[in-house]
Amino acid sequence: MFDYNFRWNQALNSLPQMLEGALVTIEIAVLSMVIGISIAMVLTLFRLSGYRILSAITATWVEVARNTPALFQIYMVHFGLGGFGIHLSPYLSLLIGIAFNNAGYLTENFRGALKAIPETQTRSARSLGMTPLQAFRNVVMPQMLRISFLPMTNQMVWAILMTSLGAVVAMNTDLYGVTSDLNARTFRTFELFAIAAVIFYLITKAVTLSARLIAARLFRY
Amino acid sequence: MKSSIFIAGLLTASAAAMPAQADKLDDIIASGTLRCAVVLDFPPMGSRDASNNPIGFDVDYCSDLAAALGVTPEVVETTFPERIPALMSGRVDVAVASTSDTLERAKTVGFSIPYYAFENAVVANEKVEMADWEGMKGKTVGATAGTYEAIWLEDKVKEWGEGEFRPYQSQADVFLALSQGQIDATVATVEVSEANVNSGNFPGIRIVDKAPMVPDYVALITLREEYGLINYMNLFVNQQVRTGRYAELYEKWVGEGVPADLTVSGVYR
Repeated sequence: MFDYNFRWNQALNSLPQMLEGALVTIEIAVLSMVIGISIAMVLTLFRLSGYRILSAITATWVEVARNTPALFQIYMVHFGLGGFGIHLSPYLSLLIGIAFNNAGYLTENFRGALKAIPETQTRSARSLGMTPLQAFRNVVMPQMLRISFLPMTNQMVWAILMTSLGAVVAMNTDLYGVTSDLNARTFRTFELFAIAAVIFYLITKAVTLSARLIAARLFRY
Repeated sequence: MKSSIFIAGLLTASAAAMPAQADKLDDIIASGTLRCAVVLDFPPMGSRDASNNPIGFDVDYCSDLAAALGVTPEVVETTFPERIPALMSGRVDVAVASTSDTLERAKTVGFSIPYYAFENAVVANEKVEMADWEGMKGKTVGATAGTYEAIWLEDKVKEWGEGEFRPYQSQADVFLALSQGQIDATVATVEVSEANVNSGNFPGIRIVDKAPMVPDYVALITLREEYGLINYMNLFVNQQVRTGRYAELYEKWVGEGVPADLTVSGVYR
């Protein structure tokens, strides 16, 4: 039984506000990916460095990021740090939470990609006189990024969808936040969330399609 | 001849008198159960006791309504935003969940007459200097997402054009954020504010002032087109006040004092 009469006009009037929210969602997702990739790169170097402490940092980060819910991570950034007097705005809490999660997963993606690159390449590069860092940067890293490009796209899609978790830290300017605010005012739950779902779908579809196009163009052998 | 016409007439009349369709009121009575959506992190209206049973003003109100209908009450826990989907998807029959009766919402759901009215208070972190409610201007403030006071506060912040508004997911998160100093002040019902300040769970907060909004009248809700049930609920609310049950429940859950007046002078309903 579903007793509901869909009335779209009221919800559709809110479309401009929701699209503004969608822009914030995209912004957070992109920033969290940029930060996440940078951190994952550093964590990967830590792992390869051979120093126990550095690879322990990487291992801990990956374990925590991958084995606890993203919701919990975002909540802890806001209320956990808040307990120590470090007050971050909802926007920053959400961004840092997602970036933390991204970094963990991307580090694992990079690890998988590295496994696909034969060890002999590093040795050849080293025998040509490159330092370990040069060998990594010039020979291994470009291939690593290429192999992990599509998994990175996956993570980007996750990042977009994870922005909706910002609700737990009082985020109200992203797509989910705007939608739930409108819902509290009008009670037009199904229409509003249906529209939000379509917007989410279109964004993620655009990301995956453009990633495939970029990959086809950039990575032709 | 005459008697056969009479019988045919009787048959036609009785056929016409057959109910075309049972409405929700009939359905509830027939099913023997009244399913109420109640928000259970909103003391004293709804919460859980030590053994995890739902208790509170709204829970008792649901039981009273079920008793009046001669059926068994069933409390279904929802959050504030979840009340409407629960209603629309048929998981519950009514929501006894302190729902503010705004005109905007009445376009979507059917409200009874108000069954309770809240006064709202401004609660601030002790470290923040604030003399009255206007002290919230330019500050970071927050409230429970999806509530009347959150909508009011958000609109105020927009009107002031400075400061920041944050809608937290639950009442507990709002007071945690307030206690940590993440937000400077909040607006919550007097009942909730006093309960939280006195509980000692959230140190470093104090009640500053009353919030200058019209009393937050809350009503029972059901589907918009269920006139039979809405009509019944209206009479039920009236009877609760008339019989003194309203005052009794107020004393039980809120405390000593006179429960809020549910009438507005100068207008019929």
